[in-house]
Amino acid sequence: MKLIEIKEILEAEVVSGEYDPEIEIEIGCSSDLMSEILAFGKPGSILLTSLMNIQVINTANVADIKAVCFVMGKIPDENIINLAKKNDIIVFITKFTTFESCGRLYKNGLKSCSYLNFEK
Amino acid sequence: MDNNKRTTTKIQELTYELKVKDVMTKDVETVSPKMPVNFLRDVLQNKRISGVPVVNDNEFVGLISIEDFIKCLEQGKMDDLIEDRMTKNIKTLYADEPLVHAVVKFEKFGFGRFPVISRKDKKLVGIITKSDIIKGVLKKLETAYHDEEERRYRASHIFNDIIADEVFLKFQYYVEGKNFDKAGEASTGLKKTLYRLGLSPEIVRRAAISTYEAEINVVAFTDGGIIVAYVEPHQIKIVITDKGPGIPNIENAMKPGFSTAPEWVRELGFGAGMGLPNIKKFADKMTLRSKVGKGTHLEIIVKLSNYRDED
Amino acid sequence: MVNLKDIVQKLDLKVVSGDINREVSAGYASDLLSDVIANAQKDNIWITLQTHVNIVAVANLQELAGIILVNGRQPEQATLKKAEQENIPILLTELSTFEIVGKLYELGIHGNKMSSA
Repeated sequence: MKLIEIKEILEAEVVSGEYDPEIEIEIGCSSDLMSEILAFGKPGSILLTSLMNIQVINTANVADIKAVCFVMGKIPDENIINLAKKNDIIVFITKFTTFESCGRLYKNGLKSCSYLNFEK
Repeated sequence: MDNNKRTTTKIQELTYELKVKDVMTKDVETVSPKMPVNFLRDVLQNKRISGVPVVNDNEFVGLISIEDFIKCLEQGKMDDLIEDRMTKNIKTLYADEPLVHAVVKFEKFGFGRFPVISRKDKKLVGIITKSDIIKGVLKKLETAYHDEEERRYRASHIFNDIIADEVFLKFQYYVEGKNFDKAGEASTGLKKTLYRLGLSPEIVRRAAISTYEAEINVVAFTDGGIIVAYVEPHQIKIVITDKGPGIPNIENAMKPGFSTAPEWVRELGFGAGMGLPNIKKFADKMTLRSKVGKGTHLEIIVKLSNYRDED
Repeated sequence: MVNLKDIVQKLDLKVVSGDINREVSAGYASDLLSDVIANAQKDNIWITLQTHVNIVAVANLQELAGIILVNGRQPEQATLKKAEQENIPILLTELSTFEIVGKLYELGIHGNKMSSA
């Protein structure tokens, strides 16, 4: 699924500056515990979370997660956005909850981390 | 022969990885169905192409080839409309299909080209020929080769040019205790450094994740510590030390879900008792020693992939 | 409203506590208790990987329809005991949050509408 499609499905806004709308994201994962994301997140995926601090960006960075979506209309502060920009991580904000966001993306065909675990 | 085999597999991989739209020709000359065949004269001549898609309001309706054109010429029917002479019901490909579908279709139908349409609105977005496929795959192979070469060069450069009985590069990072705003700086810095050294992304990722979990522990539980990474030709060793308070029961600490983290750590998204198990998961080897009141010494080893198989 | 019993059946969830004969209004996914206290609503099904006993108290407080523990997690003993006492359904799945939410969504369970601040 293209970033631009994700943006439309989540009626989201990109707050990390310029990005390539054609970038493909295949996998979605969601948790508010970063160790879970470190353990199960897949490179190139999108992380949906209601947690908001710079450790979310650090987690995405070390785990090679391409995009982060903050939910429920929360707006990240400058430190978070700057760190994301510096590390080429795309940051979305959506007014939807984690539940609604995951549901919409799954319905539109985004795969999940666990789906891939089972395939192995 | 081995090398040959590897290239073949790589090409097969690429035909799954690449999409039709990645290799197709995008700026396609098209004609409208209501034009006379005569109009094709210039198009075919100037562009030196052997067939033109016919498009009505962006919708792909057929293909008219140089053979169709010659037939009209022979029959003196140059004023016929393109829509009456074109071939309809042409097989097409979707832009988002993997390249391997195109390969299969070329083999199955023996056509020289396929129009490419978008899955969403069925509009013509390009055209693909066999030579587009070959060019696309070659280009991708070349990039992959360069990336690999560069990576190998950068790492081997350092280790090969230095003459010593043992070589290791040492990187040291200082971690501030209880400062969550700075937590992660050491591990993300190490990650970038390892990547620049040319180590494979998978190795870098594993080293970064385990160091990051360890760094979070130092920040959450201690007044600060030191992270030292040694990059050797066959492994990365990361040593994390702090000066207390120490872990009273290591066996418990290693249990997934066991946590003594205070509430502020939990609300920041950590402290769910998954840190040490995660380090174990991503490291090839992990050694943990701790003394209450003295401090903790954690050693993580990630082996470099080409040495990993030999164990 | 979707019946919890149907959900359990269709998504092959393992029931470890509570009466599943009740209605679900919408879904809420979160691993932060404070967030659930602030934003979950009555009769929500709650998706989380937290397993400690406090989740039962939160579910009770918010009158949630039940809790789904994801990624193969098991509730702690104290959690299970408390959930039985309070009649809070705890359900288990091997799937991740993303995927189980996706499947619940396909059954017609949506997220709460947030009154955007």
